[in-house]
Amino acid sequence: MAVRIRLKRMGAHKAPFYRVVVSNSRSPRDGRFIEEIGTYNPVTQPAQVTIDEEKALKWLQTGAQASDTVRDLLSKAGVMKKFHELKQQK
Amino acid sequence: MTIHEPDALAKTTRINSLFDFYEPLLTEKQRTFLKYYFHDDYSLGEIAAESGISRQAVYEHVKRAEQVLESYEGKLMLLAKYEAMQKLAEELERKVAALPIDNVFKQKLLDDIEQLTKTEYIDVTEVTNHGGI
Repeated sequence: MAVRIRLKRMGAHKAPFYRVVVSNSRSPRDGRFIEEIGTYNPVTQPAQVTIDEEKALKWLQTGAQASDTVRDLLSKAGVMKKFHELKQQK
Repeated sequence: MTIHEPDALAKTTRINSLFDFYEPLLTEKQRTFLKYYFHDDYSLGEIAAESGISRQAVYEHVKRAEQVLESYEGKLMLLAKYEAMQKLAEELERKVAALPIDNVFKQKLLDDIEQLTKTEYIDVTEVTNHGGI
């Protein structure tokens, strides 16, 4: 089963807050996830992003697929660059 | 090979913000697809597998629901107004905080400004009249 890294919307009405989570591709929309690896708060100026780089790299290296939105976040946080560099080294 | 949507993140936050304002105006189906795609970040393929329709059909549903949200915003501009008001309120807060006035009175003004930013559930009976301004 494919493992995906995606954004999960939390927070209140009109006060969005997102978690970056690792979950199974086929787990139904019940909120279950394997691990939380970061957060994203678009309300603050500028938007606040926290990423656990170590965990993110670990999941990417084991083949987890990041969604387009998470890919954006990881790129901004410089994690994608590190991931590609690590890949080149092999 | 999947084509990556440019600036998917900006799009997701925008659609979710619009969703917060216009959710009650959407059909059950539109709500469901938007939630899957933008709240939970499922791929079109995953949503297709789960709902038993083709990926293309899911795409059409999501696209259409997005257009509906944007058309409501084009007419009602609730999000644009809300964001403008938030910005104004922040500015007002800064200015009031810097005023050389009585602290108790200042706090009352700041509380009122805070009420402004909460467009929902404003209890009009709670809005105090300070008089003499």
